[in-house]
Amino acid sequence: MIEFLQTLVSGIAVGSSYALMGLAMVIIYKTSEVPNFAQGEMALISAYLAFMMIDQLGYPYYVSFAGALVFSFLLGCFLEFAVLRRAKEPNILGMIVITIGIEMVLLGLVSWKFGADPQTMSFPISPYDSVAIGEVFISGLELLTLIVALLIMVTLFLFFRYSKHGVAMKATQQNLMAARVMGIRTNRIMMFTWGVSSVVGCVAGVLISPVTMQPFMMWDPLLKGFAAAVMGGMTSLPGAVFGAYMLGIIENLFGGYVSIEFKSSVAFAIIVIVLCIKPSGLFAKHYVKKV
Amino acid sequence: MNRNTLWSLVFAVFFILATCFGVPAEEGVTDTEIHIGQWGPQTGPAAPWGSVARGTDAYFKMINAEGGIHGRKLIHHMFDDAYNPAKTKAGVKELQEGTGMFGWVSGVGTAPGLAVRDYLMERKIPWVGPSSGSIHWIDPPNRYLFPVYPLYYIEAKALVRYAVEELGLKKVAIVYQNDDYGKNGVQGAEKELITQGLKLVAKVPVEVKDTDVKPHVMKLRQAEPDVVLLWVTPTHAVKIVGTGKAMQFSPQWMSTSTCSDFPLMMHISKGLWQGVIAASFGELPDSQAPLMLKYKRDAFDKFAAKGERWGVFYTAGFVFAEPMVEGLKRAGRDLTRESFVKAMEGIKGFQGIGGEVSYAAFDPQDAYGSRQGVKTVFLAKCLEGGKAEKLSDWISPRYP
Repeated sequence: MIEFLQTLVSGIAVGSSYALMGLAMVIIYKTSEVPNFAQGEMALISAYLAFMMIDQLGYPYYVSFAGALVFSFLLGCFLEFAVLRRAKEPNILGMIVITIGIEMVLLGLVSWKFGADPQTMSFPISPYDSVAIGEVFISGLELLTLIVALLIMVTLFLFFRYSKHGVAMKATQQNLMAARVMGIRTNRIMMFTWGVSSVVGCVAGVLISPVTMQPFMMWDPLLKGFAAAVMGGMTSLPGAVFGAYMLGIIENLFGGYVSIEFKSSVAFAIIVIVLCIKPSGLFAKHYVKKV
Repeated sequence: MNRNTLWSLVFAVFFILATCFGVPAEEGVTDTEIHIGQWGPQTGPAAPWGSVARGTDAYFKMINAEGGIHGRKLIHHMFDDAYNPAKTKAGVKELQEGTGMFGWVSGVGTAPGLAVRDYLMERKIPWVGPSSGSIHWIDPPNRYLFPVYPLYYIEAKALVRYAVEELGLKKVAIVYQNDDYGKNGVQGAEKELITQGLKLVAKVPVEVKDTDVKPHVMKLRQAEPDVVLLWVTPTHAVKIVGTGKAMQFSPQWMSTSTCSDFPLMMHISKGLWQGVIAASFGELPDSQAPLMLKYKRDAFDKFAAKGERWGVFYTAGFVFAEPMVEGLKRAGRDLTRESFVKAMEGIKGFQGIGGEVSYAAFDPQDAYGSRQGVKTVFLAKCLEGGKAEKLSDWISPRYP
């Protein structure tokens, strides 16, 4: 029983970082219908900036983390403004290819500046000290990630539902032209969206970095986050978070009780099944575009 | 003498002169140069191992600065294959068929190496010191392939023997990468345990792409081992030891030479690597051995790029290339591939900064004896600050 509970808790713990990446992808997808494959590397470069400020330049934690968050917001805005907006008559496929291009450039930049050797970021909470609930362990860092992921989800959910900006973002996604006619500055909304999404990604990156950092560290969280978002319906924030925790738990249960070799692959098999049964994802309202 | 006979005579004389004076030089060798190729990942997930190739580069530059070998400079051609076997094969073919290499040195990784092994061997091109301890370099045996890296198999045997005989720990588990590298470790550990009348209490595979290792640690913990062998990448090793600590599971950890770069491991594990015992194939970076000090002074300080680290993988670039340089020296000025192979076969008890290197006349029945250069490892323990304590002298477990 203890083993089972531990497996469950471990699944939830690993699901948190997937959830953050999933949320970041959903935010951009909600307004532009573009899955942003540069998300992982945008988070990567922000996390390395935090690492540089703390471990190489000796700034205190709060300055470094605030700096990384501000940088990530500006980076997101900049990429939208300087790269994506410049695309002439873009279709979704073209936009996806552009995000892959950005991903490669950012990855190259990080590898060039910081090298390929694994690093680790200093952090106020040790990733290796744990909190014990009975005989079930969860590390302090994982607990923090869990709380942060849930907080961000709730904040974003409220933001989209009740704030003017949030509603404008939704409107932009549903009908760009109509939104513009209604006086929404859609370009600015797009830029803002990229900024916010980049900040969420940055939080994920910073929370992964205290264990090990290397230029490829965001690939797996991004892929799993994306998978979780697809499972949850791609436009639903709670859906992405739910999908992420499901993914984490399924992986751990499968690894613990069925086959550890296929632990990482089983998630994708589940997604295929989900998409066969409910093509628009578990949480999305089935959205039919009129032609 | 008619005109035809005259022409025949002229042609014959010309032909004889041509074969006398214009003996076609060996591929990749000129009067002043020897061309040697090497691959190593400079980008991609395996990039930390790319420093092996950069180490060899500095070593060759040092040899050249000291006058080269019999009047010839070593021209080092290295390329980035990103640890992708398809790229390794394309790069090797390009350099071999374009520029023409005399031979190949080191080359990181079992999978990239396997992608080109048959290509090089069919063309009888010498290859010295592949950077992995795989059994594939001697099985099947090849006349032109001279491995240096001691087998992962004997590393595992040495570690298990030390755990059982010296530390008195009987419950041994292994967590291994689910590929050739990891499985060689499992085989070695199992073989040694059989001779001790024991068997593994758990063997847990890790996939290269796994990032979350909690289920693996939980499986290990259930078996309650006294000692756990880590046959994985440095990043996985750190995650496993760290997750173990978070779950209050702390056996004696032991690891392969792949994770023996103590300063690096201490840094990325935030100090958790202290107390880990690792096998090692060469002098550790803080060693005060005269040859190590010379390499650091004459090669690293002079030729390494800014920001390069004097670590285990960097010095491994020297370990794997030393026997090749020794072979080239012994082969003399009349260098051909055949004379080089003969010279390599004459190397007995050569001591560089790795274990003792010996080869013998090619014997397909005894590939381990005739082609496996280093048959010894030593064990070291990681101390505070990434310093190393040698636990044993060079030891040579039997193979198989």
